[in-house]
Amino acid sequence: MNVILLMMRGMKLIKLLLFVGMSLGFKQVNAQNKSTLILGTKAHVGNGEIIKNAAIGIRDGKLDLVMHSIDYRLDTTKYDTIIRLYGQHSYPGFISPNNELGLVEIEAVRATRDADEVGDITPQVRSLVAYNTDSKIIPTVRSNGVLIVQATPQGGRISGTSSIFNLEGWNWEDAVLKMDDAIHINWPSVYNRKWQNGTITYEENTKFESQVYELNSFFKKALAYTKVDFVLEKDLRYEAMRSVFTGDKKVFIHANNARELSSAIYFIKEQRIKSPVLVGAYDALLVADLLVDYAIPVVLRRVHELPLREDDAVDLPYRLPFLLAEKGVIFCLQNDGSMQAMGTRNLPFYAGTSAAYGLNREEALKSITLNAAKILGIEKEVGSLEVGKFATLFVSEGDALDMRTNKLTVAFINGKMIDLSSHQKELYERYMNKYGLEIN
Amino acid sequence: MRFIFLIVFSLITFNSFTQITFPVNGNRNPSNTIFAFKNATITTSPGEVLINGTLLIKDGVVIGVGSGLQIPSSAVVYDLKGAYIYHSFIDPYSSYGMPDVKSLGRSPNPQIESNTKGAYNWNEAIKAETNAAELFSADLKSADGPLKNGFGLGIVHVKDGIFRGTAALVSYDGNSDNEALKQSRVYTAYSFDKGTSRQDYPSSLMGIIALMRQTFYDAQWYKTANHEKEINLTLDRINETENLPRLIEVDDYLSIYRADKIAKEFGFDFIFKGNGDEYLRAADFAERKLSMVIPLNFPKAYDVSNPYDAMNVSLAEMKHWENAPFNAAILAEKEISFVFTTDGLENIDQFLPNWRKCIEVGLSTEIALSAVTTNVAKLFSLTSIDGTIQKGKPANFFISSAPIFENNAVIYEQWINGSQKIINNRTTIDIRGDYDLNIDSKKQYTLFIKGSVNELNATMQDGDSTIKALIELNGNQVALSFSPLNQKEIMRLTGHVSESKSRIWAGNGLLSNGDWVKWGAIKKADFADLKKKDTATKTPLTRGDIWFPNMAFGSLTTPQPKNMIIRDAAVWTNEDKGILKETDVLVVDGKIAHIGPKLDLSIIYPKKMPEIIEVDAKGLHLTPGIIDEHSHIAISRGVNESGQANSAEVSIGDVVNSNDINIYRQLSGGVTTSQLLHGSANPIGGQSALIKLKWGETPDIMNIDSAKGHIKFALGENVKQSNWGDRKTERFPQTRMGVEQVYFDDFYRAKEYSDLWTLYNAKSNRDKKSAIPPRKDLELEALVEILNKQRFITCHSYVQSEINMLMHVADSMGFKINTFTHILEGYKVADKMKEHGAYGSTFSDWWAYKFEVNDAIPYNGAIMHKVGITTGFNSDDAEMGRRLNQEAAKAVKYGGVSEIEAFKFVSLNPAKMLQLDHRIGSIKEGKDADIVLWSENPLSIYAKVQKTIIEGAVYFDVDKDVELRKQVAEERERLVQKMLLAKKNGSKTQKPGKREKELYECDTIDDEGYEVN
Repeated sequence: MNVILLMMRGMKLIKLLLFVGMSLGFKQVNAQNKSTLILGTKAHVGNGEIIKNAAIGIRDGKLDLVMHSIDYRLDTTKYDTIIRLYGQHSYPGFISPNNELGLVEIEAVRATRDADEVGDITPQVRSLVAYNTDSKIIPTVRSNGVLIVQATPQGGRISGTSSIFNLEGWNWEDAVLKMDDAIHINWPSVYNRKWQNGTITYEENTKFESQVYELNSFFKKALAYTKVDFVLEKDLRYEAMRSVFTGDKKVFIHANNARELSSAIYFIKEQRIKSPVLVGAYDALLVADLLVDYAIPVVLRRVHELPLREDDAVDLPYRLPFLLAEKGVIFCLQNDGSMQAMGTRNLPFYAGTSAAYGLNREEALKSITLNAAKILGIEKEVGSLEVGKFATLFVSEGDALDMRTNKLTVAFINGKMIDLSSHQKELYERYMNKYGLEIN
Repeated sequence: MRFIFLIVFSLITFNSFTQITFPVNGNRNPSNTIFAFKNATITTSPGEVLINGTLLIKDGVVIGVGSGLQIPSSAVVYDLKGAYIYHSFIDPYSSYGMPDVKSLGRSPNPQIESNTKGAYNWNEAIKAETNAAELFSADLKSADGPLKNGFGLGIVHVKDGIFRGTAALVSYDGNSDNEALKQSRVYTAYSFDKGTSRQDYPSSLMGIIALMRQTFYDAQWYKTANHEKEINLTLDRINETENLPRLIEVDDYLSIYRADKIAKEFGFDFIFKGNGDEYLRAADFAERKLSMVIPLNFPKAYDVSNPYDAMNVSLAEMKHWENAPFNAAILAEKEISFVFTTDGLENIDQFLPNWRKCIEVGLSTEIALSAVTTNVAKLFSLTSIDGTIQKGKPANFFISSAPIFENNAVIYEQWINGSQKIINNRTTIDIRGDYDLNIDSKKQYTLFIKGSVNELNATMQDGDSTIKALIELNGNQVALSFSPLNQKEIMRLTGHVSESKSRIWAGNGLLSNGDWVKWGAIKKADFADLKKKDTATKTPLTRGDIWFPNMAFGSLTTPQPKNMIIRDAAVWTNEDKGILKETDVLVVDGKIAHIGPKLDLSIIYPKKMPEIIEVDAKGLHLTPGIIDEHSHIAISRGVNESGQANSAEVSIGDVVNSNDINIYRQLSGGVTTSQLLHGSANPIGGQSALIKLKWGETPDIMNIDSAKGHIKFALGENVKQSNWGDRKTERFPQTRMGVEQVYFDDFYRAKEYSDLWTLYNAKSNRDKKSAIPPRKDLELEALVEILNKQRFITCHSYVQSEINMLMHVADSMGFKINTFTHILEGYKVADKMKEHGAYGSTFSDWWAYKFEVNDAIPYNGAIMHKVGITTGFNSDDAEMGRRLNQEAAKAVKYGGVSEIEAFKFVSLNPAKMLQLDHRIGSIKEGKDADIVLWSENPLSIYAKVQKTIIEGAVYFDVDKDVELRKQVAEERERLVQKMLLAKKNGSKTQKPGKREKELYECDTIDDEGYEVN
C-alpha cells in the first residue's frame, strides 16, 4: 500500500519502492526457509531443452540446481526434503498473459466483474488493486500447471495497466510478480460490427483514421506532459504514461486484422514505443516480416478458436503457431475470449494442439513458458527451469500438454509447495463419498 | 346531382360508352378520340412481332392492331417509323401507392400482446386483413422510375408482416385512383419477416414458421367454430381470400424449401418471391414445379484493389456476384416459370440494364418479355389484362426508339389506359455530327457534337487546339457557349437548326465585348456511332461453376457412398470387444458389413464381388463418428424462440442452414451426427433437428429421417431471464418456483387437449359432422407427443433443486426426462437421475460463467458415469464441437474414466440419448458406416482426423482438404482478377465488408429482424 501512496511522487521513488516491495514480498513467501530436491523427473526446461532424469534443487525460493541426475552426486543432507518422482515430468510454471483471472469471478454477475472501467482512455486504472487472490477459480487453474497470470483490464481504447501475479499469495501485495507491467490498447477496428437476423456484417469503420489519430495525439500530449519539470495540475492519465516512455511499462496493442496490425506497427514506430507487444494478431502471418524486423513479439489469439474467415483453412488457428515460428516471429499463447478466467486451465492444451499441428513439442512448451516470460518481461525471474530463477514449477504424472496425462503431483511457487486442492476437488471428494465410490 | 343521374341514365342505351360514377366539374371532355400509331414495329405478345404495324386505340382500349389497317379519318395519327411498341411491363411485386411502412426498431421493453387496435388477430405480424386496394393512392412522383423502365402497371401490397393481406393491380397513371385501381384482390401475400411488429413473439424464423402454420390451422378451425367467444376479422379475411394465388417473399433459397413444406402441408402452392439465388438449386425447384418472382438485384463487384480488404469478402459472395446475372437464364433452362420484379434494386434504373444482362447471358427475349408481361398476367390470373396488345384489350403500351432488348433503346412514351405519358421527347432532332462553324465570317472552328440524343456534348477545334463547349438543344433552338482560345471570357451563340435534317444552323452570337454577330454552322459529317466498337471491347459475362454448397470448401459434386474396406486399423468398437488391433472394417452400401482381422473378400463374396476400395489404415485408429448431443450450428435466424415461455410448436428442423461452414469444420473434427437444439430461453423450448453432417446436401437430406422427435426444455437462470437486463422482468416465470408451475399448467393443458380429441375422434362420422372439431394447437400437440412417448426431452439444467423438481413433475404427469443436458450439478443428484432413468450430457469443464454454475465441477461426468448414468460430453459451441475427442479425454483427467468409456461419452452414449444407438454410435455389423480415421489414439491431444465418413461417403479427407484449400485460393484469385477487370472496365463496385453467421449458444436471444450495433 505504500506503493500506491508513493506513486504520485515520481518515478525514481517508485522504482526504488518497487524493488524493495518485491524483495519484501518474496521474503514473506519463503519465510519457511526450506530446501527441496526433486529427483527423477523428465525436466522440460522451457527453453527447448529436456533433461531426461533431472535433479532440481530449490532453496530460498529459487532454483539452485537443475541438472541431469547422473551429473549430480546425491547429497541428501543438503536439502530438507527430497521428492522422488521417477518417470514423471517437470515443467516451469505455465504463464497466462492477457487474462481477466482474479478480476472477474462470475461473468454473468455484475458485482463480480472488475475488469472493465468506464472511459475510453484509462491507462491509470490498475488491475493490481482489484486482483482477488481468493478467487475460487485460481486453485482450479494452477492445478493444471498454470502458475502465473497477467491480470489485464479490458475494454475501452486504453483499458488500463496490467500486473503480473503468482497464483499464490495472501493478498495482491504478496502475489504480485511484476507490478504495473504494461498498458493495454485496443486498436481501432477497421470494421464496425452490425447484426441483422443472425448475420453479422462488418462494414468499414469510417472513423478508423480519426481514432488512430486520437491515440497518436494522446501519446504526444502525454509525452509533452512528462517533459514538464513542474506539473501544476496532475493528469492521472498522463502520469500513468510516464513509465511507458521510459520503457519500464510495456505497451500491449490488441489487434487482429491485417490492416489494423500494420497500422499498429506504424504507430509503434512513429511513437518510438520501447517495449511493444501485439495481442491477438490473427493476421500476423501477413505482417510477419515487419514483426521480425522490428522485433515485435505477439501474444497470439487463442489456439482453440474458429478461423475468423469462412474461407480460411479449417485448422488455421491450430497451425498458426507453427507458421509463425517458421517465419521467426516470437510469440506466446493466451486464453483471451469467452470463458477467459476459468478456461485458463486449458492453456497447456493450446500448446498441445499447436504441437499436433506442426510445432515441435518443446517449442510449443516455450510458447507458454520462456517465450511468454520474455514477452511479459519476466524472463529473468521465471519461465524456465534454470538456476537462479524463482522456483515456480510443477511435476505432472505425464505429458502436461495432453489432458489425459496432465495430472499434477506437486507444484511450487517461489519455492513454496502449493495446495493443489480446489473447491471443485472438494466437491468431487464429498460426492464420491456420498455414493460410496472410490477415488482412483 | 339529379341532372347527372339523368345523363347517366340516358347513356345506358348507348352502352358502348364506358361509364363512371364521378360528377364532372365544368363541361365534359369525352375521351373518344381515336389514336393511330402507324409504321411501328409492334410486339403484340412475346414472340409475335408486326413489322410496319398500326395500332388503333380509343378510350383506353385497343380497337385494332395489324398491318395495313384502315386508319379512320377522325384519328389522330402518329407516324412511328423506326420506333417500337411493346405492352407496358407489369411489376408483380411492388409497393407503389401504398402507405409507408415505418419501423420503430427494436423495443427495449417486452411487448407480450398485439398493439393493433380492433378485432384482429392476437399476433401483430398477422396482418391478413390488410387490403391493398383500400389503401391504394396514386403516388405519381414515384411512378417516374417504373415508367422510365417500361413499367405501366404493378401488383402492389403493403410489405409488412408475416401475413400481409391482399395485393391489388394498379396502373402507374394519374387520372384518378379509381381509374388506376384495376383489380382489388390479386393474390394474398406472405413473408418470413415479422416486419414492424414489436410484439415479442415470434422472435425467430422458426417461430415465424410455426406462427404461419398455426394461423392456417386457426383459420381452418375458425370456419367450423361457432363464434360465441371470438370474432376474428383477420381469420375471416384469410378464409375469404383462400382461393387467391399466394405469394411469399423469402430471403434465400433455403427458405423456398421451408415455405414449400408449409404449402404442401396445407395443400396449396406458393409463388415464391426470391432473392436472386434460386439458380443454386434450380434443378430441385424445377422438379417441384415451383413458380417464382425474381429480382434483378445483381450485386456490384467488390472493390478488391486492397488485398487486405479483399480477404474479408467470402468466396460465397464472390461466386454469387459472378453468377447472379445468370439466375434467370438458369431457371429458364430448367423450365421454371418465373416473372421479374423491380423489388430489391438499389436504384430502379438498374432494371432495364440488368434485364438486358439476363438476355445477354442467354435468356431468350421471348421469355424475358413474357416475364414482365404475359406471364405475370397468367401467374396471377389477372382478369382485366393479359399482357398482350390485342383488339378489345386495355391499351397499355410503350413506344421505344429501338428494340427494348438493346442497350441503346430509349423509351419515348408510355400509354396507360389510353393516356399518354411522355418519358423522352420522341421528336428530338438528332444534331450529332461534325460541323464547320463560322462566326461573323471571321473565325472558323470545327465543332463536334457527340453523346446521346438526350445528353449531348460538344468540343471545338481551333487549329490544333481543342476547346470544350456547352451545348443545349430545346426543340429546334440551339445554344452554344465556349471560351475562345487564350480568352477567359465566354462567347455565347444562339440560333436555330434550320431544317429537320439539322444540317444547317444559323443565328446570333454575343461576343465578350457585348457586340452581336452573325454565325452559322454546316454539318460536314454525321455522327458515327461508336457503340459497335464498345461491344467489341466489352468482355462477355461468363458463368462460374456452382458448388455444393456454393462457398469455400464446397465441391462440384457431393460425396457419394462407396464400398470400401479399411485395413489394419486399431478399431474402437464401443462394443464388448473394446479396441481391436490391426482389424479390417468392410463398408458396403453405407453400412458396416464385416469386422475382423485380415478379411478375405473372396470368401465374403464367393460369387460376384462388388467394387470395393481398399483403404490402408495401418497405424491409424478407427472410431465411430462423433455425435454431438447439444449443438447450435447450421441454424438460420435464431436459435431461441424467446417470445413465450412455451414454444413447443417451433422446430429447428424448419430452419436448418446447410451452408454453415461449421458443418465442414466439425467434419474435420470427426463429428458425423449433431442434435441441433433449440436454445434455453424458455422452460419449454422447441423441437430439435437431428442431422448428419452431409456437407453439400440440402437440409432435407441431412435430416435423419428415421429419428424420433426430440424437444428442448430448460431450467434456471436463462428461463427466468436472470441475465437479460433489468427490463426483462415481465414474462412469467421469473423464479424457479414459477418454472415448476409452467410445466404443470402446460402438461395439464396438454392432457385436456388430448382428451378433447379423444372424445371427438370417438364420435361417429355422423356426429362428427354436427360437432365442432377441437382447435389444432401445435404447441400442445408436441406436449401430447411427449406424454405418448413419441417425443424425447433434452433439458438444459444446472442446479440440483430444479433437476429434482423436473423429475418430480415428470413422474407425477406420466412422462420421462430423456436427457438432462449441461446438468452441471448432476453429480449431486446422480442417484435420483439414475432412478428416473435420465441420461446426462454435460460439459467437460465449463463453469463460473454464471451464478448457477458455481458448483459445476469437471468431475461431474466421471461421477455420473460411475453412478451408472449414461453420460456424454457435448459442445453447445461451434468451436468445441470440432474437438470433442479432446473433451472426452478430460474425463480421463478429471475422475479417471477409462479411455474406452471416455470415448463413448462423445459417441455411443449420445447415440443412446438420441434414441439412435440402433443405427450409430459403435462399430458393429449392420450399423451406419459413420466412421472416423485418426492419426493416433483419438483421446490424445496430438490426434488428427484423417477421414470422416458418413454412410460410406467420405465427407472429410485430410488430403482432399489440402486440395480444397488450393481450390478455394485459386477460385478466389480468379474472381478477384475478374472483379478488378470489371472495375477497370467501369463497373460500379462496393466496399468489401465481412459477413458471417452468428454463432449460437444456448442463451443467444437476439430478436428477429432488428439491427444491433
